[in-house]
Amino acid sequence: MERSDSTKVAILGAGRGGRALVDLLHQIPSIEIVGIADLDPDAPGLQRAHELQIPVTTNVPDLIDNHGVSLIMDVTGDPEMEKYLHAHKPPAADILSGSASRLLWKLIQHESKLEAELLQSEKLAGIGSLAAGIAHDINNPLQLILGLAENLTEERDLTAVHEQARDIIEAVKRTSAICRDLTHYSRRASSHQDVLVSVNDKLDEALKIARYASNLHDIEMIKQYQPNAAVKGNPDELLHVLVNLITNAVHAMELGGGTLTLETKLVDGQVHVRISDTGCGIAPDKIPEIFEPFFTTKAPGKGTGLGLYNVKTIVNKMQGTIAVDSKLEKGTTFTLTFPNAEPAGQGYLP
Amino acid sequence: MDEFKSGFFVGGEACEGRVLVVDDEPDIRKVVKMTLQKAGYEVLEAENGERAIEVINSGENRLLLDVVICDIRMPKINGAEAIAYFRSNYPRVPLIVLTGFPDTDMATSFLRQGVVDYLVKPVEGEKLRSAVARAIEQRELAKL
Repeated sequence: MERSDSTKVAILGAGRGGRALVDLLHQIPSIEIVGIADLDPDAPGLQRAHELQIPVTTNVPDLIDNHGVSLIMDVTGDPEMEKYLHAHKPPAADILSGSASRLLWKLIQHESKLEAELLQSEKLAGIGSLAAGIAHDINNPLQLILGLAENLTEERDLTAVHEQARDIIEAVKRTSAICRDLTHYSRRASSHQDVLVSVNDKLDEALKIARYASNLHDIEMIKQYQPNAAVKGNPDELLHVLVNLITNAVHAMELGGGTLTLETKLVDGQVHVRISDTGCGIAPDKIPEIFEPFFTTKAPGKGTGLGLYNVKTIVNKMQGTIAVDSKLEKGTTFTLTFPNAEPAGQGYLP
Repeated sequence: MDEFKSGFFVGGEACEGRVLVVDDEPDIRKVVKMTLQKAGYEVLEAENGERAIEVINSGENRLLLDVVICDIRMPKINGAEAIAYFRSNYPRVPLIVLTGFPDTDMATSFLRQGVVDYLVKPVEGEKLRSAVARAIEQRELAKL
């Protein structure tokens, strides 16, 4: 986003530090990354810069001289680079290098660790709210298994024995599927590598998890999926986002049911994901606060207040945006907008 | 002595009776029915609270139903709502809650409302049969 009052930053070095800087700085609206330089074409920061359409170059003098740079961040760790910058920097630019940039790198690592912890603790707190649904879905097949097994101890009809044994096997499979879904969901988000993710598949997966957190019995479901809608990001994190939004939607319709609409579509080269409910809605004066950390309207002990905060953090990390449209007693629609996941490759500096 | 019954034995271990099982899971209804039929009970089924209310209000069930076994988490009218309905309209029919989710607060609240037993799935056949027998016995004693 081009802004006249923005700080124009050039990043030198695209190793792990450079990559982390790109990730962090591109989320801040008042900072514009004018380019990133590294001699190694395979440096991880360059790959990330391509994805974010940040110009990439090997030409350091051009980058620091010709783009109105106001801050040069040197994370090359190279003492020669430090010397070069002090000799050649444009008068209007500040330099961050040497021990200052090492300190910044440590702070960023710390911050990203905290962010991951926050996400994980919210997820684990959320598992508690799944307990009722999980107990229901595990104890029902257990009841069937127990009842049939008791009967089998006395059953003399061989056909009935076979049939009931098969029912038991099916019930065991259903139960183990529940555990599989949940352990998959509760684990720490896996690799840091972004991959292509099918949004439609993740919506369906999220729906399975959300069933445990909320009662979907009295809710009519409408799915309008754009085939092959794909975004780029961490699949576990996207799942977390969708579980949160679907669970909120269902909770909003707790009294009296309603309609849950899940929609994906391509609009102007972007992927839109829409989650709509016909529930209680959000009071207009609360809307500006919903993405704030620790904001909750739920009873004490029922919500962490971190749900939508984490949702927004993840969506932004995926270069997406989140918008909310809500009317009291009518319902709420959350719209996520992501770049259409297509091969990157533009954004080079000449 | 219940004049509508043919085979009721006061103090007997097993006694015939008509039981309504309310659960949205067909598997649960099937297995509960199987368990109770073995002990000589007649078992009616309903898949949600709404249907359960229809069943209890149809024909002779109004008079002949001995016990209702009711799940909590169900579509349409859920177990808690159905139980409230049964308690106010058919206070003499004993209710047994059979739920997949053990919740102490909920159990206390149901028992206060006059629910005679709160069972958590999975429950052994013997335990279920004796809960039903006990419920019927209490009901008969209350009539005396």
